Amino acid sequence: MSHRQRSLASALKYAVLIVGAVLMLLPFEWMVVASLMAPNEIMARPLVWLPAIPQLQNYARLAQAIPLGRMYLNSLIVTTAITLGILLSSSLAGYGFAKFQFPGRDVLFLLVLATLMIPFFVFLIPVFYVVSQLDWVDTYQGLIVPHIVTAFGIFLMRQYMLSLPDELLDAARIDGASEFAIYWRIVLPLVGPALGALAILAFVYHWNAFLWPLVIIRSGDLATIPIGLNSLRVYASQPEVINLQMAGATVAIIPVLVVFAVFQRWFVQGIALTGLKG
Amino acid sequence: MESVVGAAGSIERAGARRRRLPRRAAAGYAFVAPALVFLVLFALGPFVFTVYVSLHDWNMLTPVETMPWRGLENYRYLLLEDPLFRETFRNTVAFAIANVLITSVLSLGLALLLNTQVRARSLWRAIFFLPYITSTIAVSIVWNNLYHPSYGLFNGVLGLLGLPGQRFTSSVEQAMPSMVAVAVWLGVGYYMILFLAGLQAIPLDIYEAATVDGANSWQRFRWMTLPLLRPTLLFVAVVSTLASLQIFDLPFVLTLQGGPVNATNTVVLYMYQTAFNFTRMGRATAMAVMLFLVIFLITLLQLRLLRERE
Repeated sequence: MSHRQRSLASALKYAVLIVGAVLMLLPFEWMVVASLMAPNEIMARPLVWLPAIPQLQNYARLAQAIPLGRMYLNSLIVTTAITLGILLSSSLAGYGFAKFQFPGRDVLFLLVLATLMIPFFVFLIPVFYVVSQLDWVDTYQGLIVPHIVTAFGIFLMRQYMLSLPDELLDAARIDGASEFAIYWRIVLPLVGPALGALAILAFVYHWNAFLWPLVIIRSGDLATIPIGLNSLRVYASQPEVINLQMAGATVAIIPVLVVFAVFQRWFVQGIALTGLKG
Repeated sequence: MESVVGAAGSIERAGARRRRLPRRAAAGYAFVAPALVFLVLFALGPFVFTVYVSLHDWNMLTPVETMPWRGLENYRYLLLEDPLFRETFRNTVAFAIANVLITSVLSLGLALLLNTQVRARSLWRAIFFLPYITSTIAVSIVWNNLYHPSYGLFNGVLGLLGLPGQRFTSSVEQAMPSMVAVAVWLGVGYYMILFLAGLQAIPLDIYEAATVDGANSWQRFRWMTLPLLRPTLLFVAVVSTLASLQIFDLPFVLTLQGGPVNATNTVVLYMYQTAFNFTRMGRATAMAVMLFLVIFLITLLQLRLLRERE
């Protein structure tokens, strides 16, 4: 390739990336801008790109329409509890399957793989029935408990733990460490990257989860962020509702983007790791 | 726990192994038992129960023991007499095909682009990945307003360009393509990262050898990159097909429960409506079983395709 061709190809490459990036970011940009517009600016044609005066009172209206603080707290409680549960259950069972010989182990692991193949919508109705029989409808435990064990997590941790050296574990046994102490003090610290990847995937997934909370939540007190936002969706899309909806979406999305910006490398590595393992 | 320990112990003694083994086996059971109990209670048991209910009539209020047996009636009704089920099934398949094809091609293209010499690679990567981590509900609300026929950004821009406004999610014809566009926007960065990981696992020196042998960039892509990326391609195909066939959040919020007139209604959404709006659990579980079978067969097929080509 001549120098000229090369710089043309390079220019084309950046042009494609810039157009793509604009398309990716435009919805976010318009979300923030429209959340600060007055109704007549949202209606204005030809299009207005920026509000004359940012209408911060849209956010005050939003806080009156939905319980923002409560929604954040609920999402934080539910997602953190589920994530911790998944980390604990996956690492315990993954360790058991990876590093112990016991009768029936392979059959039991096949059982785990079988549930890995079944998507959640297949369980939805029976699990709702189980939860309602336990009287857990509209409770935190109803939101949390059905999700604290996942076949995917067990599978991921088992694959990762297969590579741990047996000699290390045996050395600890000779030193008289209990099996649980070996798991807690030696195994867990060694599988940090896999735990981190699993934590990120579980947190993002359950932070954004909609179907199960939609079925199980009855009162506003328990509303997670997606459920609270959905309650804004039922109004007809008039200009004074649109800026409210955009303010709601902004409040829901911006903190997630900040967290992502800080931990970007972890996110990307975690996803690449699980992709390769799968 | 005592009985498990005892059972494991006797099995090990029968095998006349070393004395330390029973303790190890018991520990193995102890590590896997809590998770397995949960999986039986909240996954395997429910799976069996779903199949059971699909053969009955049930409104979830009457006791389980008294639900009347219907055999395959729920399946017959859905397949032969319920045009809405067929429509939601067609919608789901059409959505999945469009979403998987467009998303895979775009994400592979982006990954190839970012795998070359690019300034600020991690910034580009982050920008394309952003939508994936945001709430589908929040994003659906935003896109619904972007698509708004009178006050939306898109028609505003079309107006500035002197082009006629479109109806997007408000029209039966455009609602499905509009929904696919949002799904592509949401997923493209995620699959791009999977492809990037796959590309980075390919050793660079084989390309140098091919270049020395006179292969041009298309030949290198077609005959080296694509075959070496096959595992990643398969993973992306399986994951995105499975996710697309289960689509629920997007039609629930973007098009207000599958509108207009069910143009974007999908199987899982219709299942939800049948179960929780109309409390017809028999029919809803029959839908779940049928969609599950489709998903299961597609997964097997895709896995087999990979094996054959390898």
